[in-house]
Amino acid sequence: MSFHSVGSVDEFPDPSSTLVEVDDRAVALIHAAGHFYAIDDVCTHDGGPLSDGPIDAEAKTIACPRHGAKFDLKSGAALTMPATKPTVAHEVKVEDGQVLVRLSD
Amino acid sequence: MTATLSSQGYDQAAFDELLAGLDEPGWMTDRRRDAFQAFCDTPWPSSKDEEWMRTDIRLFKLDQFAKPADPASSPANPGLLTQGVDLGGHVQSVDGDLVSEELSDSLAAKGVLFGGMQRMIAEHGDKLRPAIERDIVCPKYDRFAMLNAAFWTCGAVLYVPKGVAIEEPLHALSVLGAEKSADLSRTLVVLEDGAEATLLAETASASPDAAGLHCGAIELIVGAGAKLRYVNLQNWNNKVWHFAHQKAVVGKQGQLQWTIGALGAKLAKVNQHVALEGSDAEAQVNGAMFTQGRQHLTYNTHQHHEAPYCRSDLLYKTALQDKSRTVWRGMIKVDKPAQRTDAYQRNDNLMLSEHSRADSIPGLEIEADDVRCTHGSTSGKVDESQIFYAMTRGYTRKEAVRMIVSGFFQQIFDRITIESVREALGEAIGQRVQDLSNQ
Ligand code: FES
Repeated sequence: MSFHSVGSVDEFPDPSSTLVEVDDRAVALIHAAGHFYAIDDVCTHDGGPLSDGPIDAEAKTIACPRHGAKFDLKSGAALTMPATKPTVAHEVKVEDGQVLVRLSD
Repeated sequence: MTATLSSQGYDQAAFDELLAGLDEPGWMTDRRRDAFQAFCDTPWPSSKDEEWMRTDIRLFKLDQFAKPADPASSPANPGLLTQGVDLGGHVQSVDGDLVSEELSDSLAAKGVLFGGMQRMIAEHGDKLRPAIERDIVCPKYDRFAMLNAAFWTCGAVLYVPKGVAIEEPLHALSVLGAEKSADLSRTLVVLEDGAEATLLAETASASPDAAGLHCGAIELIVGAGAKLRYVNLQNWNNKVWHFAHQKAVVGKQGQLQWTIGALGAKLAKVNQHVALEGSDAEAQVNGAMFTQGRQHLTYNTHQHHEAPYCRSDLLYKTALQDKSRTVWRGMIKVDKPAQRTDAYQRNDNLMLSEHSRADSIPGLEIEADDVRCTHGSTSGKVDESQIFYAMTRGYTRKEAVRMIVSGFFQQIFDRITIESVREALGEAIGQRVQDLSNQ
C-alpha cells in the first residue's frame, strides 16, 4: 500500500489529535512532542473514537474517551483495561511539509 | 413526473428543485416541508447517543451523494427473489427513479393497488392518506428519517382491500447504479382487515464497486385478521451506506412473517420495529446476516407488545468473515395492558475469522405481570474438527465451510415458508463464503 497525504504539517498543532480519512478508514493522527503517530480511530474495547481522547505526550499514549483504556501511540498496544486487544498502528512520515500515512493492513 | 435532483447537496435549493418537479397532493408536500425544516434544525446522531455508540458514521458525508442527473438504464437482472416464482406484479427503481411497474389484471380487478409510490400517491392519495398520516415510521425520529421524509423520490405501495387474499407474490427491486448515487425510498404496505399478501423486496447494486447511499423507510400495516409475508433482502455492494427505519403494526389476530436477509452495505444501521397493537396478534421475525471484509451492520430490533395475548418470535443469525462487525440490539417491550404476552428473541453468531466481531445486546422492558418473555444469544467459532472431518470425506475446505455455514442458517431457512426465497438466500450466502484458509 502507498502513502496518502492527510494534510500539511501546520494543520496539526502540537499537541493535537485529529480524525483523518485514509482510504475509507478512520485514522487518528496524533501530533505530540514533535512526533506524528497514526492509529486506527476505533477503540478495540467498544469502538470509542480514540481521537477524541486525551494524549499523554511524554508517555506516548492516548486514552479512550469512553472508558479510559490507554493505547501506545507507536505500536497501538492496549496498555490498560478495559481494552485487551491492540489497535492498528500505521506508518507516518513528513515530506515537503505534508503528513503522509501508509495503512498497515 | 419523476424529479431529478441535479444539484449536489440537500439544501434549500435542492429541496425547492425537487418540489418543482413533483406532481403530488399538497398535504404530501406539506409533510415534506415539515420534515425538511426539522432536517435543517437537527444534527446528525453522534457516537454519544446510546443507539449510535457502536456505529461510527464520522466518515459519512451526505453531500458526496445525490440522485444522478442522467437516468441510469434498467437492471439486466430482475433480482434474486424472482427466480422460480409466478409474480402478481413488480416495481423496479434505479437510482431513485421508477423504471417499471406492473400488476396483473386479475389483482387490479379485485381492487389491489401496487406500484411506484409517486404515482400511487398522485392517483390514490385520498385512499392512502390515512395510512400515511399514521406516521408508522416517525418522520422526525432522527436526521436520517427526516432526510428520507423530505427528499424521498421512489418506492413502492401495496394496498390490499378488505378480505382479498393474493396468492402470487409481488416483487419490488431497488437498484443503485451510478457512482455516488443516492436512493431515498419508501415502502408502504396496507393490508386491510382479513387481507393476505406476500411482498418480496430486494435491493442491489448494478456495479460491485460504485459507492452509494440508501436512506429508506418501510411501513407495514397489517389489519385485523390480515396476513402479511414480507421479505427484505439487502444485497447492496460493500460500498453503500445503508440507513433504514422499518416498522410494522399488526392488528387484532393479524399475522406477520418478516424475513430479513442482510448481506451487503459498507455500513448499515437499521431499526426494525414490530408493534402488536391488537390482541392475539402474531409476528415472526427472521434475520440472516452474512458479513465480510470490513463491513459493519447494526440492526436494532424492537418487539412492542401493546395488547394482550400476542406472540412475537424473533431469530437473527449472523455469520461473520474477515474483519467485519455486526451489532444486534434487541428489545422486547411489553405494555401494561399486554397480559399473556409470549415473546422471544434470539441472536446467534458464527465467527468465521479471528478478527470479526459480533455484539449482541438483548433487552427486556416489561410492565405487565403475566407474561412469558425469553431471550438468548450465542457466539461461537467455526469448528475446525468439523471442517477436518468433512475434508477426510473428500470435500474441499471451501465446501466444508459452506456446509457448516448453511447448517448454521438452516434454522432460519426452515422458518421461511417460501421455497424460492429460501433458495435465493442460501445461494446468495453461499456465493459470499470464501476459503477460510486464506485468512
Ligand atoms: S470503548 Fe474505549 S475503553 Fe471502552
